[in-house]
Amino acid sequence: MTSSSEASVPPGAARAGASTSTRLFVRQTSGLVRDLGIPAATGISLASVAVVNTFINFNAGLTDFAKSDMYLPLMAGAIIWLVAMLAYRYLLRAVPRAGGEYVYLSRIVSPVAGSVAGLGIAVVFTYVLSTNAHFAAQFTPFMLSGLGSAFHSTAIANAGNHLTSNIAIAWLSVVVMLIVAALSLFSVRIVARIIFWLIVLQVVAFVVLIGMLAVNSHADFTSALATYSNHPGAYQAIISAAKSNGVVFGTSVAAGVAIIPFMVLNYNGVLYSYYVGGELRRPGRTYLYASAISIGVLVVLWVGVWALLRARIGLTFMQAQANLGAANPAAYGKITSLNSVAGGLGYGMILSGDPITKILFATAVPLAEIAVNLAFLTVTTRVLFAQAFDRLLPVSVAKIGERNHAPNVAIAIVLVIGIGFCFLTSLVNLGSIVALQSLFFALILLAGGIAATVLPMRRANLIETPGMPDDARKKWLRNVALVGGATTVLALFTVYELAAHSSVYGKFSLESILTLVIVLGAGPVIYVIARTVRRQRNALDLNMAMRELPPE
Amino acid sequence: MWGKSRAAKQRELRIYFATDIHGSEVCFRKFLAAAKVYKADVIILGGDFAGKAIVPVLTEDGTLRARVGGEDVTVPEADWDRLAADIGKSGLYPVRMDAAELDRLSADEGALDRLFRGEIAAQLQRWCDLAAERLDPSVRCIITPGNDDPVDADAVLAAHGRVECPELELCDLGPATMASLGVVPTTPWNTERECTEEELGKQISDMLDQLPGGRPCILNLHCPPYASGLDDAPELDATLKPVIRGGRPSIVPVGSHAVREAIKRYQPVLGLHGHIHESRGAQKIGRTLCVNPGSDYSSGVLRGAVIELAQDGSCLDFLLTTG
Repeated sequence: MTSSSEASVPPGAARAGASTSTRLFVRQTSGLVRDLGIPAATGISLASVAVVNTFINFNAGLTDFAKSDMYLPLMAGAIIWLVAMLAYRYLLRAVPRAGGEYVYLSRIVSPVAGSVAGLGIAVVFTYVLSTNAHFAAQFTPFMLSGLGSAFHSTAIANAGNHLTSNIAIAWLSVVVMLIVAALSLFSVRIVARIIFWLIVLQVVAFVVLIGMLAVNSHADFTSALATYSNHPGAYQAIISAAKSNGVVFGTSVAAGVAIIPFMVLNYNGVLYSYYVGGELRRPGRTYLYASAISIGVLVVLWVGVWALLRARIGLTFMQAQANLGAANPAAYGKITSLNSVAGGLGYGMILSGDPITKILFATAVPLAEIAVNLAFLTVTTRVLFAQAFDRLLPVSVAKIGERNHAPNVAIAIVLVIGIGFCFLTSLVNLGSIVALQSLFFALILLAGGIAATVLPMRRANLIETPGMPDDARKKWLRNVALVGGATTVLALFTVYELAAHSSVYGKFSLESILTLVIVLGAGPVIYVIARTVRRQRNALDLNMAMRELPPE
Repeated sequence: MWGKSRAAKQRELRIYFATDIHGSEVCFRKFLAAAKVYKADVIILGGDFAGKAIVPVLTEDGTLRARVGGEDVTVPEADWDRLAADIGKSGLYPVRMDAAELDRLSADEGALDRLFRGEIAAQLQRWCDLAAERLDPSVRCIITPGNDDPVDADAVLAAHGRVECPELELCDLGPATMASLGVVPTTPWNTERECTEEELGKQISDMLDQLPGGRPCILNLHCPPYASGLDDAPELDATLKPVIRGGRPSIVPVGSHAVREAIKRYQPVLGLHGHIHESRGAQKIGRTLCVNPGSDYSSGVLRGAVIELAQDGSCLDFLLTTG
């Protein structure tokens, strides 16, 4: 009936009796008229990016690299995704269905490569669930402070002060995980609505912040900070304290280049209209327009908000606040109670005069993380499903609940592991173990680039136009390989930058490398174990599951 | 799950099941090859074998002109075989015609419908002949229709000696009896084999009530059971466009309540389903293992399922395959 691939019937598809200009006759069958236009595809792309998380990345850049500025990394990140957009266009044309790199690798490179990516993504996404919950928990004091200010309640505002210990953060992370799990037990339709409204709230907060920064002056901010901090010279005091702590101000190109990986991660999700490639009207064109518009919108929004932050708040202050807050929180806390990692949302909070905007800014990050986690949970359980259907995991993992029609077992597994990660993240220093998480995400982009590069060699039939002359065919395939190669090179550049700045992005240690190897090797290892066990039981050989069938 | 009693039971029958190949030449050839590769005793194609679109190839001044993949293609007439093969790979029917014929078909729905039926029947006949040529005589080949297949296609299947088409019938597979039905509950597309849930339930009951008591049964029903995880598809609005919620197409169950009720009532050992291409998976409903291998026909990938039955008709094991 309904198939992602069916919408890939060539553009201009017509129903029976259409005019000759359409040059394709389509009979009355199921699943042929489900086409999404550019606005819908753009909405999908923009909704896949956690817009307010940019402040977390701004803060990371300011903290980790001296003389940081965001213009160059924001633009470079956009360019890398623009090139990747072209490569994914060909992947979308070849395999117009959901599944991303798992499907691309398994179809184009080899099923084994797909399974490596599949299980790796499942493991890493489960960990990311806990880090997102951890982020939300870390923002709880900021949220309570904002809510206390909005409702004029010192009790609420002060409550946040009791929630800063590691154990408190761990339990708050667990609460976030439980909220996400509870929401996931509703029907998919309700979950989708929840995600939608959470996204709307964070976008509204972002837009209101831009307006607020635009109408207030630098003097307004210094005055508001003084009032908020009960410290008349808070602004200068933070800069002076930072200087005393050795913070270096200014900008440098080297720092800008080093921050690029943060901003590449910032745009993650902006091409996700390819996940619904099969549903798009004229997939190649719609996907390109939607992705380009989305990247353009994000560049304008993020570069715009960064320019406003520089003009109204001041780069020196932002560098001072981020570094002092990270390096010497005690000295920072003596000057102000403004959360040092909240970035623009924090500035918006102290500039806002009405309770509604305070509530918006206070809740933007926790709500955004819940939205992201709801989406991540769906993806993670789907990947678990795929592994269960491939008999690598017990098939009961994919069991659908009789009453709520939800994948209860898979949700429970992800929840238990995620809660375990929450405690480990909060109470134990996992830094050396998960240090290469950023590298993993860069490797995913690299996998997409490699899949596009080898596409003309491995599955040229999926992208060739029938009847194309040999010369044109060779030129066309060469272009596909070139675009794939360019994406691969840019992904490798990102990998290089991550490795070159391993003190920031993740140190290469025995633990971290071993963890990455386990994550990437888990698929094949589980495959070998499952196959051995099944052979001992005289069950069907797993080797059959992905064996290429000869058509002739 | 199925491991405890496996050691005590011997495999009696290995089934290979695929579905929804929608005219893909590559997928059908792979389907035939699956018998040997998976060492199957019986191969079953569970419906929606017919393609969806005709690509008119205009003959003009010694050239062939067609619009494929959104692009105009012109080749010498001598390249017809290659062009037709390329178009046919993804399940489209290339048909040579002149401009007058193209105009006539565009204006005459009846003529176009007849052309479609002729192309589908011709392809099916070729496929049956290919099955006779390629399959080992010991392998049974069963092809049953789905909602997208014209009713006239049944006659082609019924007339061919090598292929079985037990639509709306009970079919003895050895350790179990299989009941097949390609009709689905009403869809927004008003396809050829649709009915109400009540009618569907009655047709299933009419078949299964003929089963001897205690005889293990396999249900080969094109439509999957409702809310089984095998029937998740994008929700559509009144104009048949996907509904977007939370930045993603809203996914809803679209299977059949009647099929689910039948499975609960009759508890077959196995349910073989298709219809929803993107909802590949396997689920247990009561004691019944329900399988939807999904479909990826436009990529030339054949998705299927290998299922083993024991002598007593119980399901020993299964494996979803991608070939």
